[in-house]
Amino acid sequence: MEPIYCTVLPGSPDELGVPPEADKTKHKQSLAIEELLSTERGYLNMIQLCAVDIRNRLKQKQLPDFDLEGLFANIDDVIDVSSKLLYQLELMDTENPQYLQALSDTFLSMRSELENTYKEYCASYSNILILEARYREREELDKAIQETITSTAPHTNATNLSFFLVMPVQRIARYQLLLQTILKNTEPSHPAYRSLQATVDSTVALNSNINEYKRLKEVADKYNKPENLTLMDKIYRINTHSIAKKTARLSQMLKHEAGFLPKTEDKEFDALEEYFLALERGVADLQDNVSTFVKHFEEFLSRRPHECELDIETEVAFRNYKELSAILHKHIYPKYMHRLKSLVLQPLCSLQELFACPQNMIRKRLHKLLDFEKIEEKRRETGSITYEEQEAANTYQAINTLLLTEMPKFNGMATQLLIRAMETFIFIQRDFAADVNHIASGYLQHLPHNKLPDYTFWSWAEGMFLKEAKSLQQISQTFEAELNPHFILPLTPSSQRRLSELTKRYKSEQIYQASSDIKGGRDMDLSLSRGELVAVIQEMDTKGDKRRWLVEAGGNRGYVPASRINPYHPTGQTASPSPAIVDEASKRHSVVVVSPAIESPVLPSLQVQEDYEVFAAYDFSARSIHEVSLRAGELVTVLEHHDRQGNPQWTLVEVQGQKGYVPSNYLMVVPVPGISASSRKT
Amino acid sequence: MSWIPFKNNNPKKQIISKTVERDFEREYEKLQKLEDQTKKLHKDMKKSTEADTAMSKAAVKISSDLLSNPLCEQDPQFLKSMTALDTAMRRMDAFNQEKVNQIQKTVIEPLKKFSSVFPSLNMAVKRREQTLQDYKRLQSKVEKYEEKEKTGPTMVKLHQAREELRPVREDFEAKNKQLLEEMPKFYHSRIDYFQPSFEALIRAQVAYFTEMHKIFGELTEQIDQPGLTDEQRERDNEARLSELKALSIVADD
Repeated sequence: MEPIYCTVLPGSPDELGVPPEADKTKHKQSLAIEELLSTERGYLNMIQLCAVDIRNRLKQKQLPDFDLEGLFANIDDVIDVSSKLLYQLELMDTENPQYLQALSDTFLSMRSELENTYKEYCASYSNILILEARYREREELDKAIQETITSTAPHTNATNLSFFLVMPVQRIARYQLLLQTILKNTEPSHPAYRSLQATVDSTVALNSNINEYKRLKEVADKYNKPENLTLMDKIYRINTHSIAKKTARLSQMLKHEAGFLPKTEDKEFDALEEYFLALERGVADLQDNVSTFVKHFEEFLSRRPHECELDIETEVAFRNYKELSAILHKHIYPKYMHRLKSLVLQPLCSLQELFACPQNMIRKRLHKLLDFEKIEEKRRETGSITYEEQEAANTYQAINTLLLTEMPKFNGMATQLLIRAMETFIFIQRDFAADVNHIASGYLQHLPHNKLPDYTFWSWAEGMFLKEAKSLQQISQTFEAELNPHFILPLTPSSQRRLSELTKRYKSEQIYQASSDIKGGRDMDLSLSRGELVAVIQEMDTKGDKRRWLVEAGGNRGYVPASRINPYHPTGQTASPSPAIVDEASKRHSVVVVSPAIESPVLPSLQVQEDYEVFAAYDFSARSIHEVSLRAGELVTVLEHHDRQGNPQWTLVEVQGQKGYVPSNYLMVVPVPGISASSRKT
Repeated sequence: MSWIPFKNNNPKKQIISKTVERDFEREYEKLQKLEDQTKKLHKDMKKSTEADTAMSKAAVKISSDLLSNPLCEQDPQFLKSMTALDTAMRRMDAFNQEKVNQIQKTVIEPLKKFSSVFPSLNMAVKRREQTLQDYKRLQSKVEKYEEKEKTGPTMVKLHQAREELRPVREDFEAKNKQLLEEMPKFYHSRIDYFQPSFEALIRAQVAYFTEMHKIFGELTEQIDQPGLTDEQRERDNEARLSELKALSIVADD
């Protein structure tokens, strides 16, 4: 007989297959686990479809102004994490008694990866939505997107991208629920219970962190951008609300300064801020100084002394110098410059730019802090604050927290970069020196004096130049030497008069002639024309300057440069041979005392056999009974070459039937060969 | 006109032969170019050493500014590194000063001295030119009288003119001869004159960069970073900058 009823015993399945309570839970647990896995698979498929197929199609379409990266954010990382998670979860068979433990371990070990990846994605999600909305407004983009979706994922009935893009946001929150379900259906006595509990807690915390991160990021985005407002913008910003806000802040600040209110001291923050400011200063200075350094090097590089053309290409030292410099300028210096710019200057510039936003945020924090203090005051006094005030307080907290969290990182990383920049600079300097040395030493070997030790070389070089300086001076002097012989310029009639005036009062050695026009510049300077005669009174001026002589010229006295006047010795200086008119004289006069002593030095060394004629060179007016007048060009007959006292400066002549004395240098002797005495006029 | 004592076979206005004149011109032109080039070299060397000095001072400022930054008080390691760097920069500056002094004495000043001869030379050439003009003028005057009728006054004037001409001609010939002799000598002197300068330039550079290599080499040994290639350094910098940019407090544009 078949039993109609059967006793249900705990633990034994009945014929209807309905599991007992414990088994029901177990069953639910299995279902939950299965759900976790299958949904993960489905999710992964979807986001892969989106990220790979849809994105590629969209990329191929090459739509204009389409920010693919912004739209898809870090979905690739999400895919990686999800794949890894799934892989881990599928390693073990779900029926395995160890499975729960393995599951917990997986989640716990991947906690930070999950958090980091999803927090970025979630924080970017609002931007994704904004982008999508913007693109939907543009007809051709909207159409393209629709088309792509329908062609790649027709089975989804999706009409927009956010259908897919929202999935990671949903998924990360879902883990919590799924795991909670599993936990609910697990006996507390289960060995993996505690781990599972921890996993659930961890997931809860993870979600909370992600939300917090998202909020902070939104706050940061709102406040960290330095506002580039025009003046008009700023004016429009002013309204009663903002004025009230700022006034409140100002009064709060004043209360601080006056000591009415204790400043909310946050030693931790202050330390961070102090460090930040010092760092900012350091980076700014360094960037500035390196920039100046590079600028001077560029100036150095622009000079190319080795390209001078002294026409000494054959000289070995110059040749080596020129080649060496050419190589340095062409290869070594540019390489050095490039390394400096790209490895030191450029990073420093980029780093410096990054300081602006945190600095701005610090400023905003201070403002919000002042608001916060007021609000707290109000809260203390009245016990209640408005919703807006609460929001403002929250904002302050958010900024403060954000800064406290991130500034240490910023400070640390920026310091690292600063140190790196300096280290790199040192390496670059060393390498540069090595490069130059390598080349220059090679050329040094070719130099004549390369064997000399340094000290000896420099002594030798300096000695050489001192010696050379002397010979250069000599060369200069050679060029400067006045090569003017003291030649005589013939006298004009006025000069003749001047001469006779001067010779009356001065000795003949004192008579000088100007070799060129002299223009008197200073007080007491005389101006002379070329050939003018003067008498030198003193061979220096009142200050003892020997280059300026005191002279008299036609009744005027003054100073002239000594170099421009030459002694006037009419007799003996001209090359004109003075007449040896011995024959004639002896013919005519018996009273000729022609003794060698008296015969003036005028007598030429050349005793030419040719005859001479004597002419008057200039007009001369006789001033006494002993003198006779002359007309320039007249032929005269010389009777005696001196006067009664034997003075050779006067000559006794006969002209136009008259006899008398005339100045010797007024006569001109012209050789006239072949003319017989008889044809001469008397 | 056989009674003329000195034969004057030169055609009118032809005082000196074309070849002589051309030789003179050529020599003088060489010297003029040498003058320009030495001036230019002097200027370039001066500016170059000025830039060099400025660079060295800028390098000292790099390290001294960092050394005076409050960061040094916060981080003893930082202080130690910056002190070492500052010492190195100052030593290099001292060596640079020495190098510049050597160049000043063995290159720049000698250049200046060499250039200072040119004004005298140019003056001498000018005076020769003036004398040449006088010579030509007086020569034509003589020729003019020679062609005139042989009257008494004319004879006197001719004689006078010849007397005037003779010293001027001699003066010119003396000047011309002197310059034709001295110019090539001076031009040639440049070779030996400048040789020590160029040797000095190479030597000074080798001495300086040897020190630089030593000093900075010592510094690199204190850095425990291995020698990286430039690409590695660039990537390193990029990575660090990206990390910084990823922070929320740094705006991401």
